[in-house]
Amino acid sequence: MTAMRVDAKVVMLGKESVGKTSLVERYVHRRFLVGPYQNTIGAAFVAKALNVGDKVVTLGIWDTAGSERYEAMSRIYYRGARAAIVCYDLTDSSSFKRARFWVKELQNCEEHCKIYLCGTKSDLIEADRSVRQVDFHDVQDFADEIGAQHFETSSKTGKNVDEVFQKVAEDFSSCALEFMQEEKGVDLGQKKDSYFDNCCHN
Amino acid sequence: MSQRSERRGIHVDQSELLCKKGCGYYGNAAWQGLCSKCWREEYQKARQRQIQEDWALAEKLQREEEAAYVSSHSSSQTQPPQSHSQPSLATFSKFEEKKTNEKTRKVTTVKKFFSPSSRTAPKKVPPEKESEKREKEKEEKLQGRRESHGETLLRDLKGIFTQPWDMGSPTEESHEGKTPSPSITRQSSIETDRVSRDFLEFLKTLQKPGREIHKQSRAFIESMGNKKDLSAEELSECVQDFYQGMSDRLLNHFKGSSEKVDRVMDQVEKYIMTRLYKSVFCPETSDDEKKDLATQRRIRALHWVTIQMLCVPVDEEIPEVSDSVVKAITDIIEMDSKRVPRDKLAFITSCSKHIFNAIRVTKNEPASADDFLPTLIYIVLKANPPRLQSNIQYITRFCNPSRLMTGEDGYYFTNLCCAVAFIEKLDAHSLNLSPEDFERYMSGQASPRRQDDPAAWLQSGSRVNPALSQIHHNLSVLSNLEKRQQQVMEGAQSLQTELAEWQDSVAREVQEILERYPLEIKSRASAIDAENVENDRLPPPLQPQVFAG
Ligand SMILES: Nc1nc2c(ncn2[C@@H]2O[C@H](COP(=O)(O)OP(=O)(O)O)[C@@H](O)[C@H]2O)c(=O)[nH]1
Ligand SMILES: [Mg+2]
Repeated sequence: MTAMRVDAKVVMLGKESVGKTSLVERYVHRRFLVGPYQNTIGAAFVAKALNVGDKVVTLGIWDTAGSERYEAMSRIYYRGARAAIVCYDLTDSSSFKRARFWVKELQNCEEHCKIYLCGTKSDLIEADRSVRQVDFHDVQDFADEIGAQHFETSSKTGKNVDEVFQKVAEDFSSCALEFMQEEKGVDLGQKKDSYFDNCCHN
Repeated sequence: MSQRSERRGIHVDQSELLCKKGCGYYGNAAWQGLCSKCWREEYQKARQRQIQEDWALAEKLQREEEAAYVSSHSSSQTQPPQSHSQPSLATFSKFEEKKTNEKTRKVTTVKKFFSPSSRTAPKKVPPEKESEKREKEKEEKLQGRRESHGETLLRDLKGIFTQPWDMGSPTEESHEGKTPSPSITRQSSIETDRVSRDFLEFLKTLQKPGREIHKQSRAFIESMGNKKDLSAEELSECVQDFYQGMSDRLLNHFKGSSEKVDRVMDQVEKYIMTRLYKSVFCPETSDDEKKDLATQRRIRALHWVTIQMLCVPVDEEIPEVSDSVVKAITDIIEMDSKRVPRDKLAFITSCSKHIFNAIRVTKNEPASADDFLPTLIYIVLKANPPRLQSNIQYITRFCNPSRLMTGEDGYYFTNLCCAVAFIEKLDAHSLNLSPEDFERYMSGQASPRRQDDPAAWLQSGSRVNPALSQIHHNLSVLSNLEKRQQQVMEGAQSLQTELAEWQDSVAREVQEILERYPLEIKSRASAIDAENVENDRLPPPLQPQVFAG
């Protein structure tokens, strides 16, 4: 068993059938799911290495079950996540309500988790503007308010998909430096009685 | 086994029953053919021998370790000769471990005994033990050698609860039979020794850091020996602090690449947790065991949950799918047998891969998270894995967190946690049932499959659960018996009426004949003279008399 080394955990959140799985599938396998695919094992977890500057960051992307019956368990999923891509369907206003719910949850429980709002199925809007149910500027305002990034993507055409994950990786990479330094500072003070301080003077 | 019981039923040679030591008492197969007294002596001797061997082995290992380091660092430092002046660390911790082994093993075997997932092995054993025991008791009474009831009971319980089924692989089991043998503990200490050797071998490739890693790991294990009273969370913190400190030091002080540090940390985890396992798995200070039992009961109570209720996208009619399902179930049960958190994780991952395969074959397209979680829930319900909560807690507490939190193993592990949480909270709503139905199914008043027609119910039942299918089988046998009984009753009744009729008809016939031929006693013409026996007493016949006159 040689599991790939993963730097950051990224969870996909959002109402059922907003297109979470499709987004991951498009990003990782560069394809859009219509009709059956053979010879591929599921897309529930994928590790994907990205270049950020001269460094390589490996994201572990966690797809989640969207059905409401598992909602109570969602906290277990995003525990320890460094980024959450909260998806909503641009053609379904109720899905954006759910997105707000996830955001609140994350703010309460995972302060180190960065939030990325992602409106999906933008190709449908481009084909017919009247099907849009979630206004771009409303979401932008909300994003600014909570300090989140905001994207509109299409898994069908691939529009903006790479950008979302690239941004996640970049933020992680710059944040990781800060985070590590911060941890170090705390470390020296707190871990006085840790094993190493006691036993490592040789 | 079957052979023996067969023989017992038919014929027993007296000499076979006697104690192999030739002390004249009767022996018992469960005690390798010895009588209870000789067996106890043998057992003690073997244990004593084994403890000595272990000490010797530990000391030898210790010397080897030291020699290895002295030879690779002979120039660097002066090395105080340790092996004799002070009791070595390895020896000490081994001794400690052994003591706790004894203690925890009893608990876990008892637990195992009650867990349904160990049904295959232990279930068969106790009844047989029972019969053997009764046999034995009879023999003893014959011998006139009596033990108090309490004493026998205690001994029998020991016999039952020290079965090797929780430690050994199937092959070992068949080797050792049902004998509670010293080689059980032996087995685990051999494993510990092997892991220690592997660890040493691995560290030798690392030169100087290797020596320090070894020293600190051992010192850490020893320090943990004094912390038995800590809560599980505190124990976890100690171990996590150790991991953290060690990997920081490897990264910063020895400037290892992060891949290399990961590799080293995997080995450190393996070494440390193999040794600490017995004292920190399901520790007495936690309520893990209680939770294990609660979960187990809960899963058993949910036996009626169907694939359809959970929306599980697998079709077990397809051979490859049912094959994967069986493998997934086996893996999740196997997880309990591993000591190292990462090894346990590997089994969860392997289980998950089989699940993905089952879904992919059924749906003919890749599985997503929406398919995976319900299927995992279904597998957990079917497997009812032993000590599930203890295992989850143990992994959470003692696994190297970098693996657990982000990687693929972590993903599957998190899903398993979700599955367990779902099972705990599961209600009518989460299965799309009405609260009334849910209650009735939970209380066993109704079974969801009953509503279908009985034939289909029978068929699906046999697929769903072997116990259910057994019940169905028994039911049909019973109803068959009932039918036959009825036939017998009817037959008996008709026989009775027939008999009564026959009696009547015979009577009638007799009557008829009687009537037709009434009894007439004809007077027979008989020769009176011949019959006249008293003729002579008759007065003589009148004789003609001559009168002169
Ligand atoms: N036109 C269009 N359809 C999409 C897009 N993303 C997802 N879908 C469709 O939406 C449905 C649900 O997608 P899925 O990825 O399974 O949603 P999930 O439940 O959030 O994982 C599927 O039928 C997809 O084909 C998109 O960007 N454009
Ligand atoms: Mg999905």
